Amino acid sequence: MNDRTRVQLTVNGQREQVEVEPRALLADVLRDQLGLTGTHLACEHGVCGACTVLIDGEAARSCLVFAVQAEGASVTTVEGLTPPDGLSPVQEAMRDCHGLQCGFCTPGIVVSMTAYLDTHPNPTDAELRDAMSGNLCRCTGYQGILAAARQAADRMSASS
Amino acid sequence: MSSPVASRFVGSAVHRKEDRRLLTGHGQYVADASAPRMVHAAFLRSDVAKARLNSVNIEAAKAAPGVVAVFLWSDFHEKFGEAWHAMLGQELVVPPPLAITDVRYVGDPIALVVATSRALAEDACGLIEVEYEPEQATVDYATAAADSNVVHAAWGLPSNVMVAVPFTPMSADLDETFGSVEHVVETTIVQNRYLCVPMETRGVLASWTPGLEELDLIVATQSVHETRNFFARYLGLDEGAVRVTARDVGGGFGQKMFVFREECAVVLATKLLGRPVKWIEDRLENLISAGHSRNELGHVRMAISADGVIEAITVDHVADVGAYTPCPAVMDPTLLPGPYRIPRLGFSTQMVWTNTMGKAAYRGPWMFETTAREMAIDVAARQIGMDPAELRRRNLLSLPELPFTSPGGKVFQEITPLETLEQALGMLGYDEFRKEQAAAREQGRWLGVGICVYVEPTSMEQSTLGTEGATIRIESSGKVVAFLSTTSHGQSIETTMAQIIADDLGVSYDDVTVVQADTQSTPYGPGTGGSRTAVIAGGAAHDAAVAVRDKVLGIAAHMMEAAPEDLEIAEGVVAVRGTPDRSLTIKEVATQAYTNAHTLPVEMAGGLEATIRFKPKRFPTWSNATHVCVVEIDPDTFIPRILRYIVSEDCGKMINPQVVEGQIFGGVVQGLGGVLYEDFRYDQDGNPQTTTFLDYLLPTTGEAPKIEIGHIESVSTTNPGGFKGMGEGGAIGAHAAVANAVGDALAHLGVNVTSTPLGPEQIFQLVQATKKERA
Amino acid sequence: MKPSQFQHHAPEQIDEVVGLLAEYGDDAKVLAGGQSLIPMMALRMAAYPHLVDIARVASLSTISASAGAVRVGAMVRQSRAERDASVAKVPLLAKAIPHIGHFQIRSRGTVGGSIAHADPASELPAVALALDARIEATGPGGVRHIDASEFFLSTWQTALDDGEILSAVEFPLWGANSGFAVEEIARRKGDFALIGALAGVTLDGARVARACITMIGVGSTPIRCHDAEAALIAGGADTDLDDIGRIAAAPLTPADDVHASAEYRQHVSPAIVRRALTAALKEARS
Repeated sequence: MNDRTRVQLTVNGQREQVEVEPRALLADVLRDQLGLTGTHLACEHGVCGACTVLIDGEAARSCLVFAVQAEGASVTTVEGLTPPDGLSPVQEAMRDCHGLQCGFCTPGIVVSMTAYLDTHPNPTDAELRDAMSGNLCRCTGYQGILAAARQAADRMSASS
Repeated sequence: MSSPVASRFVGSAVHRKEDRRLLTGHGQYVADASAPRMVHAAFLRSDVAKARLNSVNIEAAKAAPGVVAVFLWSDFHEKFGEAWHAMLGQELVVPPPLAITDVRYVGDPIALVVATSRALAEDACGLIEVEYEPEQATVDYATAAADSNVVHAAWGLPSNVMVAVPFTPMSADLDETFGSVEHVVETTIVQNRYLCVPMETRGVLASWTPGLEELDLIVATQSVHETRNFFARYLGLDEGAVRVTARDVGGGFGQKMFVFREECAVVLATKLLGRPVKWIEDRLENLISAGHSRNELGHVRMAISADGVIEAITVDHVADVGAYTPCPAVMDPTLLPGPYRIPRLGFSTQMVWTNTMGKAAYRGPWMFETTAREMAIDVAARQIGMDPAELRRRNLLSLPELPFTSPGGKVFQEITPLETLEQALGMLGYDEFRKEQAAAREQGRWLGVGICVYVEPTSMEQSTLGTEGATIRIESSGKVVAFLSTTSHGQSIETTMAQIIADDLGVSYDDVTVVQADTQSTPYGPGTGGSRTAVIAGGAAHDAAVAVRDKVLGIAAHMMEAAPEDLEIAEGVVAVRGTPDRSLTIKEVATQAYTNAHTLPVEMAGGLEATIRFKPKRFPTWSNATHVCVVEIDPDTFIPRILRYIVSEDCGKMINPQVVEGQIFGGVVQGLGGVLYEDFRYDQDGNPQTTTFLDYLLPTTGEAPKIEIGHIESVSTTNPGGFKGMGEGGAIGAHAAVANAVGDALAHLGVNVTSTPLGPEQIFQLVQATKKERA
Repeated sequence: MKPSQFQHHAPEQIDEVVGLLAEYGDDAKVLAGGQSLIPMMALRMAAYPHLVDIARVASLSTISASAGAVRVGAMVRQSRAERDASVAKVPLLAKAIPHIGHFQIRSRGTVGGSIAHADPASELPAVALALDARIEATGPGGVRHIDASEFFLSTWQTALDDGEILSAVEFPLWGANSGFAVEEIARRKGDFALIGALAGVTLDGARVARACITMIGVGSTPIRCHDAEAALIAGGADTDLDDIGRIAAAPLTPADDVHASAEYRQHVSPAIVRRALTAALKEARS
C-alpha cells in the first residue's frame, strides 16, 4: 500500500516529475518535494485558504487535492505569480495597503485575489468582499486586504 | 552631544521591510525549515476529559512502517530538569511532557510518535491502544469550586480552586456608599471561551547533535530568549549551547509567548534520538490543545447617584484556568474602574481548574475588567434610564484633570478618555443615530449602538518585561544593521524600528537592516507581547542609535578637524552646519572607523557600534481608546450585522500610522469575532465541540465591517519617542462595544444583554425568554 | 492531519469505474472533486483502501441540453456549471451554485459529487429535489434513473446501490413566467446553511401554475414542502406568504447542532420560506 506513483505536472512553468504516495496532498508535494514553501498549510481541511494555488488557471485549495489528481495539470504557486523583478500588481497593492502582517495567510490571499481579478476585471466592493471571503486572515481585520483588492482591480483595469 | 534630527521616517507609512519576502512566498516559518536526517512527530492525545490510564499498548505502533520511536512518559521521566519561565516565575511549572498516570482534558498528550513522515506518524498513533478508566469530568467553571470531582485529585489537591482572593474593599466607606446612593445596579457579566488562533499553528524543529552537544531550535515563538533560557534549564545546558531562532512566525496573539509541554516532548525526543525532530501542530490540535482564553464571569455592583455619578464599583470574579494553564493571565481587578473618576472599589477573584484545555494569554489578557465594567455600565444606563453615552460622559476622566490616582492605586496620566469618547461619538453622529434608531424601531428594525471606553496598561514592568536591548552597528560600507531583542509575528518591527534608527542616525530607511529573533546574535529580551515594543524596544533602538551617532560625529569631527557639536548628519552625510561643502559620507567615516582605526586618537577605539538597554522612565505607559459599534439585528433570523465600527484611539506619537491602524483593525476583528462568531464549546462530559474551522468560526471579509479610526495624540513622556503601546487595545475594546450594541438593539424589547457569545441562536433565546417573561 | 493510505485508480472509461467498484466493494470510494471527501479523510473521519478517481472519464464531464432538460455529467465541476450557458437554463441550479463554499472550492467540486454526497445542508441535493431531477446511476446492470424524490435517504445516504455510481443528473426545464430563489441563513459567507429554502414558481397571471419549495438544514435530507406548495398553488400569487412559510415549517423536525438549536431552526423557517418565495415570485413577474 505504500506504492508510490509517478506524477508529471507543470509547476510555475517548469515540467516536474515526482514520485508520491497516492495520499500525498498537492500542498505537501509542492512544499516538501519541490521546495516551494510559499504555499502554506494552516488548516488542512479546506477552510482557511492559505494553501490556495492555481490549477490550470483556477484557484483551488491544494490541501484538498491529491497530487495524483494533478497529473498533467499546470500548477501556479505564489512563487510563480511573482515577476522576475519587482512585485505583481496584486502583491504591490497588498504592500501599499498593509494587507499583510504576519504573512502566513498571504500567499493564499495573493493567489485568490489574482485569480479572481483575472476573471472579474471590474468588481464592486461588495463582490470583492464576497470573493475574498474564502481566505482567513487573523492579523489584518481584512481592511488592508480589501483595500488592496480595490487598488489592484482599479490599476489592472486601468492598464488593460 | 547629539542634537535632535528632523524626523523623516517616523510618522510616515513607509513600505514594510517584511513584505517582499512574505508576498512572494519566501517567508521562513518553522514548517519551511528542514534538517538532514529530520524525522516527524505526532502526538496521541486523550479523547477522554478525565480518566485513569489503565494501559497504553504501543507495540503495534512501534512496528509500523517508518516509525523511529514511540515515547511514553516513562521514556522522559528524569530526563529533564526545571520547567519554568522567568516571566511567570518558578511556581508555575510547565506540566509534564506526556500524561503520567491519568489524563485531565481532551487533547492531553499520552504518547509521542516519531516517524519518517508526519503521515506515517499519524498512522502509528492510530495503532496505539489506550485503555481508559473514565471519571466524572468537571467542565462548568462557574460551579467547579464547589465540585467534589477534583481535576487534580491525583496531585492530592482538595478542591478545584487554584487561587482565591476574598472580597477586598479598596475604600473604607464602600458599604455605606452602596447603602446611601440612589441607584444600586447589580449584574453578572459572562464572557465566552475563545482562542488566539494564529494562522500558523505551533511548531518546532528541534535538533540535538551528539558530539557537538548543542540544541538548535527553530520554533514558532513570540520569545526566543525565554525559550532558550527555558530549555537551558530544562536540559541542564549552558545558555550558549542552546540556539533559538524564529525568523518568521505566523501570528501569536499571546499563544506563543511561553513554552508548551509539546515542545518539551519534542526537545526530549531529539535529545534521546540524536537527530532532528520536527513537530508541526495540525489545526485540530491547535484548537483543542494550544491554550484557551477568556471564559470568565464577574458579578458587578455599581453605586450610582441620582445625577449619574458612579460612586463605587465592585466585582466578584471567577475565571476558568482549565486543567493546566500555560499562562493564567486573568484580570487585574484594580483596573476595574478603568478611565473613570470612580472613587471606590472592591473585588474578589477566583481561578478554578476544570477538565478543559488550560488558559493561555490572548491579546489583552487584562480585558475582562473592561468587558465587565463597560457591559455593566450599559446595564446601569438601561436600569436608571440614562443614555449610556451620557452616563459615561459624566464619569470619564479627561486630559486636563490628570494625573488621577484610582482607588486601585493606578496613577493615570497622559490619557484622553473623554476626548476619545467625544471624537468617536462625533464620527458616528451619535445624536442623529439615536433619531435614526427611533425611526427604525417604528418600522420594526432593530438597530443598536454600543460604546466601550478603556485604558490599557502597556509596557509594564512585571518580572522580565521592563527592559529591552538593542545593538546597532554601522558596517564598513556605511549600511546599518540593528540587532534587537524582539521577535516579530506581524507587528512590523523590522519596519518601525528601522524608521526610528534611520531618523536617529540620519541615514536612509533603506540602509537599515533589522535582525531579530536569534538568540546567538541579539540582545536578551522577553519577547514581543504585552504592547511594549514601540515604547521599550523603540527606546532601546533610539538610545543605541544615538550612541552610534555620537561615535560617527566624534570620528568625523576628528577627520574634518571640526567640533562634533558643529556637525550634523542628514541623508548619510556628515557636514559642518552651515558649511555643506565641508562634509563626509557615513561610508567614509565608517572606513576610517574600521579600516584605519589605528590612526584615530587614542581615546577613540574605532568601530561604529553600540549596545544599549532601555527602561522607560516609569511603568506602565498608559494608552486609551473608545470604540463605538452600530449593529442591526434581523428580526426574522436574529442575525446581527455590524453597520459602523468606529475607534478613537490615543497611542501617543505614531511611528507608522499604517502599522498602528493595522494593529487596531486586527484586534477589533478578533474582538468582534469572539462576540458574534467564535465560541469554543465543550459538552457536559468535556468533549470539545468546535474542533474544525467549520465549527470554530473566524470572521471573514464577509463579516468584518469597515473600521473607521480617529487618532488623538497625547504624547507619552515615559520614552524618548513619545510612543505608547497599542497592539492589544483593538481586541480589548471590541468585545464590550459589540455586546453593548447588540444589547442596545434589543433593549426596546426588554432584553438585558449580559453575556456572550451573541450569535443568532443566543439572540433568539434572549428574545424568546423575554417574551415568555412578559407574557 | 494527513489522510490514511489508499490505492489510487484512475480509469478512463465508465465500465472500468463500475468494474473497480464491483471488485473492491465497500473498500472503494468514488473520488470526484474531493472537496467533501478529502477533508473527511484528512481528519481521519473516513478511510478507504481504494479511491476510484473519475476525473479522467471524459463521458462524465459533458453537459447537454435537450428540449425538456439539461443533463449534467457527474464530473462537471461547479465552477464550469456556474459559467455554462446550458446550466443557465436551469436558473435554480445556477443560483444555488454560488452558495457552495467559495470559488476556490467550486473550481474542484463537482455537481454530481455534491448530489451523491447527499449532505442535508448542501444546496445541490436540494436543487435536484426541488426540480424533480432524475439521477442517472450506472452500475453493473447498466444505466437506470432514480427520481430525486427517491434518491436522498438520510445524511450521506442515497438510493445508489453498491457498485453503482451517479453518472449524471437531468434537471428538467421550467417554462416561461417562472422565477427561482435560494435563501439561506449561514453564520458566515460560504458556510453550510443553518437553514435554507429553495423555491421556484411558474405564474399564469395571478395563478400559481407550478411551485416547488425545498428546505435544507432541517432534517437528515433536503425536505420538499408539498403541503406548502399545494397551499400556494391553491391560494395564488397573492397568498400571504407567511402562511405558506408556516405550513412549510409545521411538519419539520430539525435537529440541534453546535450552531443552532432545533427550536431556532423551526422558528426561523417560515420567514426563510417567505423570503425565498417573495424573491421567486418577483422574478416570475418580471
